[in-house]
Amino acid sequence: MGKTITEKVLSRVTGGDVSAGEIIYPEPELITVHDWYVVNFDKALKELGVEELYDPDKLIISTDHEPVAVSPQASARQKQVREIVKKYGIKHFYDSGRGGHGHIFPVEMGYVKPGMFVEAYDVHVTNFGAVGALAIPVLIEITEVLACGSVWLQVPETVRVNLTGSLLPGTNMRDVAQKLICDLGAECVDYAVVEFGGSAMPSIDIAGRHTLCNTPIDIGAKSALVEPDQVTLDYLSGRVNGPIDLISSDSDANFREIIDYDLNVLEPQIAIPPTPDCVVGVSEVAGRAVHHAFIGSCAAANLSDLRAAAEILKGNQIHPQVRFIITPGTQEIMSAAEKEGLLSLFVEAGAMITQPGCGPCAGGRIGGMADGETSINTGTRNDYGRLGAMKSEIYLGSAATVAASAVRGEITDPRDFLN
Amino acid sequence: MDWIYKGKCWKFGDSLGIDGDVMPLRFALERELDKTILRDYLMAGVDPEFPKKVSPGDIIVAGKRFGQGNPHIQGFLGIVGHGLGLVAESIPRGSFRNAINAGLPFLTGCDGVGKDVESGDDLEVNFLTGEFNNLSRNITRQYTPLDAKLREIIQAGGWAPSLAKRLSSLR
Repeated sequence: MGKTITEKVLSRVTGGDVSAGEIIYPEPELITVHDWYVVNFDKALKELGVEELYDPDKLIISTDHEPVAVSPQASARQKQVREIVKKYGIKHFYDSGRGGHGHIFPVEMGYVKPGMFVEAYDVHVTNFGAVGALAIPVLIEITEVLACGSVWLQVPETVRVNLTGSLLPGTNMRDVAQKLICDLGAECVDYAVVEFGGSAMPSIDIAGRHTLCNTPIDIGAKSALVEPDQVTLDYLSGRVNGPIDLISSDSDANFREIIDYDLNVLEPQIAIPPTPDCVVGVSEVAGRAVHHAFIGSCAAANLSDLRAAAEILKGNQIHPQVRFIITPGTQEIMSAAEKEGLLSLFVEAGAMITQPGCGPCAGGRIGGMADGETSINTGTRNDYGRLGAMKSEIYLGSAATVAASAVRGEITDPRDFLN
Repeated sequence: MDWIYKGKCWKFGDSLGIDGDVMPLRFALERELDKTILRDYLMAGVDPEFPKKVSPGDIIVAGKRFGQGNPHIQGFLGIVGHGLGLVAESIPRGSFRNAINAGLPFLTGCDGVGKDVESGDDLEVNFLTGEFNNLSRNITRQYTPLDAKLREIIQAGGWAPSLAKRLSSLR
C-alpha cells in the first residue's frame, strides 16, 4: 500500500513507517505562536517548572493579533512578550512592524518548505499547506510541544480533492474555497487532511493556495495542503535555500475519499451567518445593507486580493454609510501594494489602511461593529460576536465582492463593476 | 488505576452537546477546571438530578457524536469528577482529545451498544482490554480499547499530570 503526503511527512519525522490511525509523537520542524498566546504559554511553562524551551530556534513568534497596541493593557502585554522572547532566547521574533500575519509571512520568507511538518497554537496555520507543508494546530497543547518537543497526534486520513476547470470572471479562489467547504461537508473532512491537486493547479498561484488551505479547518478538517508542483518551485526559488522535495502521494495511497471539484462555482459566493460553511450565491443576498467592510485576514490579504479590490474601487468612492478597512497581510504585501499605487487608490476612495496582521478579524478589537450593524468582509469566521457586538451580522466573500459592496453600501455582485 | 469499572448503566441517546447538554456553557466561558465544582452540573441540560443519582464506577452509555459542538473540556472533567466511565458509539475528534486530556477512561466506536443496555442495568467494562459485559442481560461484547499511548495519559490522570510526568522523565 502506498502513502499519502501526510503519511510520508510523518514517517520521515518519526523515522518510522506510519499509517493513518496510528498514535505518534512527531517532532515539528517549525512552530508558530502569535502575540496573544505568548504570555499564556509562559505562565503554563512556569507552572510546570520549565525554564528552557526544547528548541527555541524552531519557534516563530508573530505580532499579528494586535500589532498596534490599542489599550494600556495591550502595551503592557507587548512589553511582557518582548521580555519572554529574551528570556527563552527566541531568535525568530517578529515584533510590531515586522513580518505581518504569522500564517502568511513565514511562507514569504522561506521558512516553510514542501513536506515540512509544522505545529502551531492557532488554527489557520494550515495556510502553510499552500507550499506543501503539513501544518497542524494544537491549541493549548503547544505548551507540551515547546517544553518536550512534541505532543501526541493520531495520523490523519487524507481526502484528495482534484481541482478541474477554470474560474469564471468576477470570481476568485475565495469563492471556490467557501463553496468547497459547503459542498464537502463536515462529515467528509472530519479529522482528515484535505490534499489539493488536479489539472487546474497550474492556474492557481500561491496566494490562491493560501485561501484554499485556509477554509477546511473551519469544518473540522485536521489540516489542508497542496501537492507541490512547478508553481511551488517557481515561488520558492530565491526564497528558500537548499533542495526542494516535490513530495506527492502515491497513486495507490489509501485515501478516505477522492473528489473532483470544478473551479466554475457559477457566481460569487457569500457565507451567511453564523458559520463559514453556510454558503449561498451572491444573488440570494444582494441588496442587503452593509455598514462595515473589511479586506484582510489569513484567508484573503494577499496582493492579488488587493488588486481585485482596486480594480473595483478605481474611479469610485466608498458609500457614505460604510467604513471600509483594508489590512494587507504582511509588510511585504503592503510595500508591494504601495509601489503599485494601490494604497493611494484605496485611501482616495475613502478606505482606511491598517498595520499588516489579522486586522479586525482577530476578535474585533480594532474596527469592530455595534449591535444592529452588518459587515461584508474577507475574514475567516462569521460567528456572532466575531467583530464585537453579538447582535451584528457578518457576511463573508471575496475581496472583489467586498469592494463592490462597500461602494454600493449593500451586498453587491462584483461583476456589476467589471467590463 | 483500576481499568475495570463495575456499576450501573446510564443510557443516553445520540448527539449530546458538550455545551448545554453535558455541561452548562458558562463553565467553559469561565475556564472552570475544578472537577469538584463541575461534577455538580453534569448532564444539567438533560437530567438536572443526574449528579445525585450516580455512584463511582457507574458507566455512561451514549449514542453517536457524544460531546458534539465546540470542543470544551468541562463536561469530561465533570464525568471524571464522579468517577464514571464512558462507552459511546462515537465521539467527535475535538471531544475525543478532551476526554483523553481529562483523564477519562472510555471506549468509542462501540456501534450498536445502545441496543444492548437500558439505564439501571449492571455493567462491567474493562477499559484496558475493551471487554464489555451487561451482567443484567448476559451480553458480552469485545470493543477496541484506546491506544496504549493514550491510556498512559489517562493513567497519569489527564494531560496536565501526564505532561508533568513526561517532563520529570526528560530531566
